Amino acid sequence: MRATLIAGLLMAASLSTAAAAGEIGRIKSVVGAASVVRGKVVTRATPGLLLQVSDVLKTGPDGRIGVTFIDNSRFAVGPNSQVALTQFDFDDTTHAGRSLTTINRGSLAIVSGQIAKENRDAMRVRTPTSVLAARGTRFVVQVSP
Amino acid sequence: MLAACLAFASGLWGCATERVALLPAEAPGGSAGAVAVLDPATGTERGQLTEANTETRLGGAQVRPRPSTTNYDALLSAMPPPAQVFTLYFVEGTTDLTPDSAPTLEALRRAVAAAPTSDIQITGYTDTTGDPASNDKLSIDRAVQIRAALVQDGLPVGDARVTGRGQRDLRVPTGPGVSEPLNRRVEVIVR
Repeated sequence: MRATLIAGLLMAASLSTAAAAGEIGRIKSVVGAASVVRGKVVTRATPGLLLQVSDVLKTGPDGRIGVTFIDNSRFAVGPNSQVALTQFDFDDTTHAGRSLTTINRGSLAIVSGQIAKENRDAMRVRTPTSVLAARGTRFVVQVSP
Repeated sequence: MLAACLAFASGLWGCATERVALLPAEAPGGSAGAVAVLDPATGTERGQLTEANTETRLGGAQVRPRPSTTNYDALLSAMPPPAQVFTLYFVEGTTDLTPDSAPTLEALRRAVAAAPTSDIQITGYTDTTGDPASNDKLSIDRAVQIRAALVQDGLPVGDARVTGRGQRDLRVPTGPGVSEPLNRRVEVIVR
């Protein structure tokens, strides 16, 4: 009985690992108006929502979103923001990886994670005029109209 | 226009501004690290912020750090807390937790119950006794065992990622064939 249970769980575990393969992070908290744009589909941002590469986080005048990523980096997205998860590659065995986040407007606070720690200048943030490289830090980017 | 923008404090309406500010490390006494500003076309470094509580405007050819006076508390209130890590230890060659690890399992249960939307990663490891192939299996069996313990409590670990790393990544480096209690473990990251 116990062996069967374990076998079943093992199978479920490998299946769920495959199912979550596209997950790069998830939404942890939402305040006010906030959404996730995936292709042409707009979804209301809710805690627990899994995020994928190319998703765009958008907030209204009262909106804020908290996000955690699988490399342990974290975002706080402020009001009136548009933040695209342009690139995110991370191997959680070797910690090799690379990410690019694009902020077109608004504010974004970042706590960097394993990607920045183990790969020099591999965690990048693009603004309309510049590219930032995180060198192991907590920082804020603001793009005002 | 640029001169006019620079003449006033940042944040003035009608003046497109971009800036980056480096904050102190979260952990008291931790290093603030740095943020580099690169030219988007060439990748050339324009400069960097290396001191906490400094900021610079973006878009110019140079980076001019200055003290940051902006209060980011409202923005940072949305920052999720750091990931929690729980390490559980096992009896040699088995998937049985050591008695000392029981309180850690309890703490893990509480953390998962308190944050049902968490991203959970369960990774098993072994020491170097036995052969590498059977250690790969033992390590994932240990990870699955921890997942099963959480499932039995009805905790939401349906999409937890479960992996075994065998005798790679020893917590205490040893040669082959060494029984090391600290290497027989499962690490659970709750983020």
